[in-house]
Formats: sequence, C-alpha cells, structure tokens
Amino acid sequence: MQIAATATPLIRVMAVGKHYQLEKTQAPALIEVSLDVGEGERLCLMGPSGSGKSTLLNIIGCIDRASSGSVVIDGEETERLDDARLSRFRNRTMGFVFQSFNLIPVLSVFENVEYPLLLQGLPSKERRSRVDELLQKVGLAEYARRSPENLSGGQRQRVAIARALVTRPRLVIADEPTAALDHATGSSIMELMVDMNETAGSTLIFSTHDPSVARYAKRIVRMLDGRIDSEGEAA
Amino acid sequence: MRLVAMALRNLFRQKRRTLVALSALIVGLAGLVVFQGYITRLMSSFRDRTILSGIGHLQVAGGEGYFEDGEYNPYAYLIRGADEAMEKLRKEPGVEAVFPSTGFTSIAGYGEKSATLLVKAYPAERMYFSPPESAGKVAAVPPADRFELGGLVAGRAPGVSDRDQLVLGETAARVLGVRVGDVVTLMGILPEGALNGRDFTVAAIYRNPGRDKLFAFTDYQTAADFTGIAEPPVFHVLAQDLDRADSLAARLPAGVAHRDWRQLAPFFIQVNTMFNGFLAVIRSIILLVTLFILGNTMNRIVFERMREWGTLRAVGTPKGGILALVVMEGCFLGLAGSILGIGAGFAVSQLVNLCGGLPFRSGEGLAPFMIRLAPDMRAVWLNLAPVVVTAALASLLPARRAVGLTPAECLRQI
Repeated sequence: MQIAATATPLIRVMAVGKHYQLEKTQAPALIEVSLDVGEGERLCLMGPSGSGKSTLLNIIGCIDRASSGSVVIDGEETERLDDARLSRFRNRTMGFVFQSFNLIPVLSVFENVEYPLLLQGLPSKERRSRVDELLQKVGLAEYARRSPENLSGGQRQRVAIARALVTRPRLVIADEPTAALDHATGSSIMELMVDMNETAGSTLIFSTHDPSVARYAKRIVRMLDGRIDSEGEAA
Repeated sequence: MRLVAMALRNLFRQKRRTLVALSALIVGLAGLVVFQGYITRLMSSFRDRTILSGIGHLQVAGGEGYFEDGEYNPYAYLIRGADEAMEKLRKEPGVEAVFPSTGFTSIAGYGEKSATLLVKAYPAERMYFSPPESAGKVAAVPPADRFELGGLVAGRAPGVSDRDQLVLGETAARVLGVRVGDVVTLMGILPEGALNGRDFTVAAIYRNPGRDKLFAFTDYQTAADFTGIAEPPVFHVLAQDLDRADSLAARLPAGVAHRDWRQLAPFFIQVNTMFNGFLAVIRSIILLVTLFILGNTMNRIVFERMREWGTLRAVGTPKGGILALVVMEGCFLGLAGSILGIGAGFAVSQLVNLCGGLPFRSGEGLAPFMIRLAPDMRAVWLNLAPVVVTAALASLLPARRAVGLTPAECLRQI
C-alpha cells in the first residue's frame, strides 16, 4: 500500500520488507511497506506491540537494514552507504529519542547533549553555545553538570530531546518517547517535541500505541502485522 | 577526547568488578616484580661471587692452551714481561686489582697417609676466607679486590710475610688426618717434569663443597719458589664494575691470551639463562591469566552495555569509535593494574630490603647470604608493556562483538 504525503518527500520508503531469522524459520516484521514523509511533517506510527512500528522507525533511522526494498532520505539511498558514511549521515541528518532515554551514564547532562556535536568536529565555543541554548529550551540549564542518573524520568527524556535536536537535524525519530513516563510528564514531553518541530521545522516521526499521545501528530499511520493498515490525519 | 574520558570513567562504573580484575593483576604483577628483583639480585650476587671465586673479570695467560690444560701444566704458558704488563694494567681507570697466580699438582703426605692435591697460589693479600665465627650465620660480603676461596673451619689464612704455609680443604684434611699446625710434605711436579718436595705447615682448614677435597692454597711467592718459575702462567684482573671490565681486554699487550668472566664461567651463564627462562615462563603465565581475566571482564562489560553501544552508534559514532572505546577501557584497566601491581612489587621489595632481605644458602654447610631485592626499570617495561598489549588483545574480541551487530540489534538487548 502506497501512502502519499506532502509535495516533496524527505523520506521515501519503498516496498520495504524485514524479516528476522529464527532457528529454522523466518519471522516477517515488515511486509512491503511503502511510505512518503514530507519535510517538517509530524507523523505518528500507531499500532499494537509487534505491528512493526519500531522496526520501520529503525530502518528509517538507518540503525537497521531492510531485508528488501529501499529507503531514500533527503535524496540519499541509505542502503548504499557504508558504515562510516551512514554514521556521518545519521549524525548530521537525524536525532533519536528512545523510550528508555538511553543517556550515557558516565557523561554529564551537558556532555550527553554535546556528544553528537563532538562527532561533527565543531569548535568548543559553538558547541557550548548550542548546548546551552538547547538546555535552556528544555528547562534543564541548571542541571548541566549533573549526572543523568540524578534526574527524574521526565528530565532524562528532556535531555534526550536536547541531544536529538542539538545537531539541528532534518529528521527526529522518537520510538515510544512517553512509554516510560507518567501521563502528565508524557504530555509535557510531547508538547516540547511538538514545539521543537514547529519552531525548528524538523520532521518528527514518533511511534506510540497510546491514542492520547498520537493526537500530537498531524498524520497517523496505523500498522498491523508488519503492514500499513490505514493512514489519516489526526483528529 | 571524549572517548578517552568515557573509557576512563567507565572503569569506575562497576567498582567491585574493576577491583576484582585489578586485584588479580596487582597480585600477579607484584609477585612477578618481587621474584624478578630476587632473581636479578641473586644472579648478580652469584655472578660477583663466581668472578671472585678465583676467576676474575679477566684472565690473561701466556698462551691459548692455558685455558685448556693450564691448571695441570701451567709451566707451558708462562707470560713474558708479566710484571710490566700487570703494572700497566693497574694504572688503567676502573681496575680494582691485578695479580698473578700459579699452581702445581702435588701429592701430600702425612704420616702414612697421602692425598693428591691441586695447589693454587695467589698473593696472600688477594686470598679471602670467610672467618669461622660466621659459620651458620649470614655470610659477610667478600671484599671486591680479593678472591673468596671458602670459609675457614680452623686456623688463620697466611699473611703477606708468611711462607710455606698451606690452607687445606676440610675433606683433604680429614683424609690425611691433619689439623692446623701439622706439617705435611708436598711432592710437586716441576717445569721439566722433575719432582720437588717441601714441608708445608697447615695454617688453616677451609670448607668449600666440591673444592675442598682437591684444592689447597698457598701464597704466590711460596709457589713460585717451590716450582722455580720467574713469571706467572696467568694473571687476573678485577675491575671496579662490569662495564669497565669489558673495555680492559683492549688494553692488553700483544702476545698474550685472555678470557673474560663470561667465557670462564659457563655454569653461571647456564644458570642465568635458566632463571631468565623461569621468569619468561612465569611472565607468560601471568600474561595468559591477564588475558583470561581481562577478556572475561571486557566480555561482560560489552554485553552489559549493548544498548549504550547502540545509542552511541545511533547518534553517529562509527564502528571504529566503539572499537576504540572498548579497547581503550581494557588498556586503561591493564595499565592501572600494571602500574599498581608494579608499584606494589617495588613497595614489597623495599619492605623486604628494610627487613634485611631474603636469605639464600648456596650449599650445604655454607653460610647463607642475604639477598636484597633489586627490581629495576626493566621490571617496569618488561611487565607494563606486555600487560597493556595483552589487555588490548583481550578487549579486541569483545569489542568486535560490540560492533558486529547493527545499532538496532544493540538497542534491543536488555
């Protein structure tokens, strides 16, 4: 099923399939999925556990390889990139927000946010200015020197959002970003992400199975058993 | 730079595990440093005592053949102009002493008993016998300008002005049934094959296992008079240190043959090689244990931090960065263990030395001597560098495992 998006798609997912090799059999996780996502879009992948939304996010995010089909992001055929180029591409084009925050415990809040910029080789002054700005925006400027282990879940996710946005990526991928948070904290995190999407103009794709979280998207793609089941605008 | 900081900080994440890995390294390396310090000093002491046991740093003879059969036929190798050559050498920097020696084969008779003796003769002031009161106690360090020929059991070694006196071995004295003060008759072979006989007073009886059955000692002048030689067949050079000893051979006059202490002490070289082999085996075992401990530790670390590797790669760290991070952490662990282990080894050595050292008895009936441990900078490089390299190798396999998965596969790990 081909789902058309806005005029110039930033992401083109074309007939992507993914299967996992079990002992003697192959378990399909995605079957012939095609999807276009436009620049600046705010898209939600919804579906029950095992529906394939995380797998699709991983393939779009270039942290997993499709078994078949292809993904083009910003004109780049991602399956053709070797590890070094793919790493650079991820670093410059994408930001990730994970369900369980995935901050590096031996780095301070500041260092966690700064890390992707170090990989870009930006000068110290520029790095500091960008990290300070992001930490201000997520309301954690005074926690910059703290270890992530001394923060609440909501605060950690804010740090993760700052880390995802610090490189000014064109695409932010968030895999169930509120699943580990209580409802109120989850709402504030989604509001922050929406705000970032609107102010920075970066494309946001997130997954959830919670309808109250999905309402933050402009477009919702529902997945079931590894296929796109339906697609439509959020209510 | 951030990867270096991360690798360092990671060491303190699982303090107990780091401590266990470090403890194993520290104990192993400290033991190795102490053992190496013990062997180093033992061998240097053994070397010095071998050199001073009658060899010298350099032996100069009248012909190459002396080093084959000179002890039994010294007269064939007399050195022409020996006094002049010795005097010249004494003026060389770094020379402790230069003195002649000779010897003769004899039959010693006392009453109705007789024994074959090989009489060695050195200037009286160059012969040293450890005093009898030290028997069973820790041996005194022998003087560096004399040959240490054994331990006195009874009597007193001949002085510079004493003549026709003999220091007889304990076994030979027992065979002959003589005591200090008794007079034995020696029948010696002269240069032309003739025999000469003379009475010698037993001035002292010495003990030296393996030697005291055959060897007896008298002063050089007495032996020269007895055999009628004007020049010695050999003279010995004692240097102030080994480095200087090596350069002295170049100062010898033409027409003489010489051997340095290494050529004259093959037993020492064999023992030294054997102990170095021991050390190499022990070092290899410790490196193998290090490989196992660090490999196991790094393996667990890599598995526990799979999600971290996934996250780091997701935000753009290339595989090489993860590889470097894991290997660096292993190297830091190895480096910390090496530094602490070697430091502990030096500290234990210092403590042992403060307590007087470790006793070593070189043979039955001989006084033990104290070995002060001598770990040196070689102990640092010989142990530190291989352990760090081993740590890097031990980390490499787990590190390859960390980058063998896709970031998504890493992130799926619990």
